Amino acid sequence: MKALLRSVAMFLAATMLSAGIAQAQTKEKVVLMLNWYLYSEHAPFFLGKERGFYDQEGIDLDIQEGRGSGVTVQAVAANTATFGYVDVPTMIKAAAKGAPVRSVGVALQLSPMSVMGFAEKNIRAPKDIAGKTVAITPGDSMSQIWPLFLKKTGIKETDFKTVAGDAQTKLNAVMSGQADLLLGYVMDQAIKLQDATKKPVYPIRFADYGVNMISSGIIVNNETLKSKPDLVKRFLRATTRALEESEKNPEAAVDAMLKANAKAGVRETLIIGLKQTTALYHTKETAKQRPLRVSMTDVSESLDLLAQYGGLDPATKGKAEDWVVLDYLP
Amino acid sequence: MSTVHLWPRRVLESQLARPLILIVAIFVLWDLVIRVFKIPPYLIPAPWDVAKMLVAEWPRLWRESLFTGYATLGGFGLSILFGIPIAMLIAYSRLVESYVYPLLVFSQSVPKIAIAPLFVVWFGFGIFPKVISAFLLGFFPVVVATVMGFKSMETEMIDLARSMRASRLQMFLKFSLPQALPSIFSGLKVSATLAVVGAVVGEFVGSNSGIGYVLQIANGNFDLPLMFAALFVLSMMGVILFAIVDLVENAMIPWHQSRRADVMTAATA
Repeated sequence: MKALLRSVAMFLAATMLSAGIAQAQTKEKVVLMLNWYLYSEHAPFFLGKERGFYDQEGIDLDIQEGRGSGVTVQAVAANTATFGYVDVPTMIKAAAKGAPVRSVGVALQLSPMSVMGFAEKNIRAPKDIAGKTVAITPGDSMSQIWPLFLKKTGIKETDFKTVAGDAQTKLNAVMSGQADLLLGYVMDQAIKLQDATKKPVYPIRFADYGVNMISSGIIVNNETLKSKPDLVKRFLRATTRALEESEKNPEAAVDAMLKANAKAGVRETLIIGLKQTTALYHTKETAKQRPLRVSMTDVSESLDLLAQYGGLDPATKGKAEDWVVLDYLP
Repeated sequence: MSTVHLWPRRVLESQLARPLILIVAIFVLWDLVIRVFKIPPYLIPAPWDVAKMLVAEWPRLWRESLFTGYATLGGFGLSILFGIPIAMLIAYSRLVESYVYPLLVFSQSVPKIAIAPLFVVWFGFGIFPKVISAFLLGFFPVVVATVMGFKSMETEMIDLARSMRASRLQMFLKFSLPQALPSIFSGLKVSATLAVVGAVVGEFVGSNSGIGYVLQIANGNFDLPLMFAALFVLSMMGVILFAIVDLVENAMIPWHQSRRADVMTAATA
C-alpha cells in the first residue's frame, strides 16, 4: 500500500513538473534531417541555432545527420523528420513516384557537382579527362547527370575508364591512385581530400559547362504543409536569416558547427567550403533575392534535364510548381 | 504398399511443389495487404510490378547474377578449402585451439562492411575483393561446425576402432570423418547463404557489376520493383547453392538419421 501511494505521488509530481516546464518553454520540437554526415554546407543551420534565430520563432531545432538524400527524402515522407535538407532533384524523383513531399526553398541554385582530382595531375579541362580513370557511385545524383556533362563537353564514355564504389571507396581510390578523378561536390569531397592528404584539389564544375541543375533545398511533407503552415513559414524565416548571416560571416557559421560537433572537419578548410557553398546561393536572375527563393525557370530546366538524363519518367514529370512551392518563404 | 499414385497427387506432394505453393500464397497475401492498407508504391512495391520487372529485366539480372555467383562460389570454395583443414587442426590439437580459436572468434565480430573499403584499396576493383568478402563471411560457420563434428567422436567408438587395430589414417577415414560429415554439412549450408551476402557487401562498396550494383542503382532511383526483383534473384542464388550442398550431402551421407525419411530402402553403412 505504502509503495503504491509513493509511486502515485511521484507520478503526480512528475506530471506537474513537466507541465510546469512545458508552460515555461512553448517551443515546438522540430527535426531537420540533413542529406549527409556534416560538412561545410550545413554550417548555416548551426549558426542559426546558436544565434537564436530558431528559438525566436518558437522552434526547438534538432539537427540530424543523414545517410544520403534518398534516405532523408523517405524519412520526411514517413514523417520521421519534420524537415529535410536534400538534393531537390532526388526529392523530385521520389515525389514523382508518389512520395508526399515538396520543396519549400532551394538553397543551392547553382550545381555543386564536379569531377575533381588532385591539382598535380593537371586535369583542368574536360578534354584532359580522356585516358584517365573516374570513380563514380552508381545510382547517386551525380552519376546520373554525368552523361549530360559528357554530352555537353563532347567526351565519350569510351574515352576514359570508370570504377564504381560507395562514397568512402571513391575517396580511397583517388587518394591511393587507383582513380585519377571522382565525381563529387566542390565543397565536400574536395575538402575531404585536401584535409587528408594536404594536397590541393582541382574541381571541374558541371555548371561551368552548361549543366544547370538546382541542388540542395528544404523539403517538407505535404501533410505538414496542410496542418502546420505557420511552422513552415517560421522555420523558413529563421533559415533564410541563417543563410544570409552565413554569407556575411562564414567563420562564425563554421565555429558554430564545430562547437556542436568538433569532428565536423578542419576549421580552415570548412570555411573555404562554406564560401564555395554560399557562392551557389544565387543565380544571376536571383542575385537580388533573399536565399532560398529559387527561380521557377531554373526548376523547370532541372526538371527537363531530370526527365532526359536523370531517370525521371517523362510521363510523371509534371510542372515545376508541382514539386517546388515558394509561398512559405519570407 | 502400392506405389502407383495418380500423377496430380504426386506433383502436389513432391518436394518442389510445396515451396512453390508457399510462394504463391505469400504473393497473394502481399497483394492483399497492399490493397487493404493502401500502401504507396514508394514504400512497398506491388508483387505484380516486381514480377513484371523480373521478366522485363531478366537478361540484365541474369548477367549480373553471374558476377555475384562467381564471387560467391569463389568465397564459398575458399571457406571449404581453408575452413575444414583449420578446423581439423583445432579439433586435434589443444595447442592450436588455444591460440587460434579465440582469435577467430574475435575476428568474426569485426563488421565486414566496415573493412570492405580497405579490401578495395588493397586488391582493387576486380572480383578478388568480393571473393575475400564472401570468404570472410562464409568461413566461420564452416570452422565451428567442423570443429564440433570432429570433437563429437564418442569415446566408445574410439575404443572400438583401437580394438580393431585401426591405423590413424583408417581411424580418420572410416570413423572420424564420416561421423563429422553431418555437422560439416550443416555448417556448409549456413556458409553458402552467408557467402552470397558477403559477395553483395563487396559489390556495394566497389563494383560496377553484380546484383549489388543493380541494388545500388535501384535504390538511387527509388525503383522499388527493380530492387525487390534483384533481392529475389539474390535469394534464389542462396537457395540454389543450399540445394546443391543438400544434394551432395544426400550423396555422401545417405545413412544419416536426418535423411532416413527420404530413403525408400534402408542403406547399410
